[in-house]
Amino acid sequence: MTHFRAGLAVLAAKGISKGLRLLGRGATTLPGRAALKIYPQILSELSKDRNIIVLTGTNGKTTTTHMAAGILKVRGYTVITNVSGANLATGITTTMIEGIRIRKNAEKAGGRSVYIIEADEAAFAKISGQLNPRVCVVTNLFRDQLDRYGELVHTQSLIAKGLDATTAQILLDADDSLVAALERGRDERVVFFGMDESSMTRNTVTNPLKSGLSETTSDASYCSFCQTKYEYRARSFGHLGAFFCPSCGYSRKIPDFAVSYNIPSEEEKEAALRNGDVPFKGPADTGFPVTLTYAGESVTVALPIPGIHNFYNLAAAVAACVLFGQKCGDTSLTFAGCSKEAENLLPAFGRMEKIPVGSKSVCLLLVKNPVGLERTLSFVSEASDAGGMYLLLNSNDADGKDVSWIWDVDFESRSYPEKVFVSGERYGDMYLRLAYAGIDKDRMQAQPMTCCGDLLDEALAQCPDGKCLYILPNYTAMLALRKIMVKRYHLREFWK
Amino acid sequence: MQEKIRLCHLYPDLLNLYGDRGNILALKRRTSLRGIELEVEAVSIGENFDPDQYDIIFLGGGQDAEQNILRSDFVSVKGDKIKEAVEMNKVFLCICGGYQMMGHYYEEQDGHKIECLGAINIWTVGKKSRFIGDTVYSCDLLGESKILYGFENHSGRTYLGDDIKPLAKVLTGSGNNGEDRTEGAIYKNVYCTYSHGSFLPKNPAMTDFLIKQALEVQKGKPYILPSLTSDVENFARKALPTCKNP
Repeated sequence: MTHFRAGLAVLAAKGISKGLRLLGRGATTLPGRAALKIYPQILSELSKDRNIIVLTGTNGKTTTTHMAAGILKVRGYTVITNVSGANLATGITTTMIEGIRIRKNAEKAGGRSVYIIEADEAAFAKISGQLNPRVCVVTNLFRDQLDRYGELVHTQSLIAKGLDATTAQILLDADDSLVAALERGRDERVVFFGMDESSMTRNTVTNPLKSGLSETTSDASYCSFCQTKYEYRARSFGHLGAFFCPSCGYSRKIPDFAVSYNIPSEEEKEAALRNGDVPFKGPADTGFPVTLTYAGESVTVALPIPGIHNFYNLAAAVAACVLFGQKCGDTSLTFAGCSKEAENLLPAFGRMEKIPVGSKSVCLLLVKNPVGLERTLSFVSEASDAGGMYLLLNSNDADGKDVSWIWDVDFESRSYPEKVFVSGERYGDMYLRLAYAGIDKDRMQAQPMTCCGDLLDEALAQCPDGKCLYILPNYTAMLALRKIMVKRYHLREFWK
Repeated sequence: MQEKIRLCHLYPDLLNLYGDRGNILALKRRTSLRGIELEVEAVSIGENFDPDQYDIIFLGGGQDAEQNILRSDFVSVKGDKIKEAVEMNKVFLCICGGYQMMGHYYEEQDGHKIECLGAINIWTVGKKSRFIGDTVYSCDLLGESKILYGFENHSGRTYLGDDIKPLAKVLTGSGNNGEDRTEGAIYKNVYCTYSHGSFLPKNPAMTDFLIKQALEVQKGKPYILPSLTSDVENFARKALPTCKNP
């Protein structure tokens, strides 16, 4: 530490962490907050000469972080990450301070360490310069809790500011027109990941609108540069796809790291075209076969986590690891080696965890914004083991106060398990949304948040043996429900 | 003969914020359950708008950047036709940004005035702080079912000219400007509100009112709407945090 206040800040943060732990409380943001008060430049000190990868964007940060961490761990790195939800300056500072000890221990044992930090978009703009990472990843930009984040173009400009404060290699989603536009003026530092165009099932010919009403939301219909409406050669989901502007010529670049997938059977291929999505049920024990391509080399792996969005996350994670290797001169981080590790990945916190409960199981799927919920509904409607669906909608600050986004979600064109349960502080809003999507009221049970535990019991009781209850909470509802599940079903051993 | 209502959804690819399409889902549901056909047509930038073709015109809210993209098409290209539709007593539902754009101008925080359509005598002044939260209004148009539930999320303060009536009186929340307890606006058959997202789904009486108005204007005579249960809507209304009598 070059500055005495930096040393003081670290000491204070460590003291607070210890105190909170003694009280049996989590210490994710308070220690960092104290350290930042004492020495606002603390992050520059903590980041000096460190291996750092930073991820930002709307969706997929946690899963991509988790995947990249999984890959680098197997490659011999000690990986330090911030827990989901602690992705503001305070949480990141806490992580960097806690990382000091972990890193030193790793070095004593002769090992290497890396920080993989997920940052909220606004936090990214503020602290990326201090972190000065080797690689910055921008996953995607979808509308998300507008009352908290503001407009997408504003978010885009925050990320641009953050990128310009670093000298990092920049990894962008080629298929997201809002993200890909960040290449302009930074092209020497930019590498793209994305989906191979041949694997995008959705296009306007094979996938016309089903509900016969207004289009569901597109977050970026018009060109970032000349405001002409985009056309698409193909789409993967949301506004992601092979876009091009018929007026100024801005168009999607062919990704350096491309993911494509192989649909095993003809029957599933047909279903994929019909639903505009890949079937989520790959062979259960072997995972879903996807192919990654980089610099003329192709590797096919069986990904145990389903969903097109996770194919994107995988491409981003592998690319981030490979670029990181290139930047710090670690030749062991080969493209083929990193890709192969995908077969051993497990779901991240609140993302597709399947937990056995007696003769049944529950699967928790965190849903936070329209595109995330649409992806999840596709997953549930295709799951062959669905024995019920349980939606919980809260509206605390961390969730966004405004729940009207549920009306932007295309509930209409999917089918659901026979029994549907609804809770959360906004259970009435969600119940009405489902009723308007055509789910008969006799199939639904809705209860206030104060009864969400009892409704969970009821939903599990009605779930047939051998089947899975799919639970779709938003953020604070998930935290509350996990507590209840630990208590009622003694599930502690399944999460730390 | 089956009744049919033709709805024009203006700029759905740009004005699609905060679940405004839920209002169309509500009109769809409460017409189809009565055997009335609702035909929805999207009309966006560069596309022709012919007021004779529609009974209801829907205008939602959008992000500022997106409203800027369409403003010249809305004001200069389609403007006269839209004003014509207003004077023809066509039913309009305008939400949030769509409401503001029907007025004279939107004054930005730095004092710069953005010229709007001027189809109705209202104007809006942008402020830094936002009004966000659940709302309850009382709307005299709806007789016995006059309580409306909504959710507002806006930084513009809208003021009504002398010839413009508010849509409702604010019971909970901020409404048009946080000062005069008014919410929304009515001019002829133009109905405006700051309540976005699930405004019509949560207020079936308002949905029914718009359907009835649209059919009466189309037929040029009174129309009696077949009765319809509102049980799922009422369940949701009672579950709202602002509901006083659950």
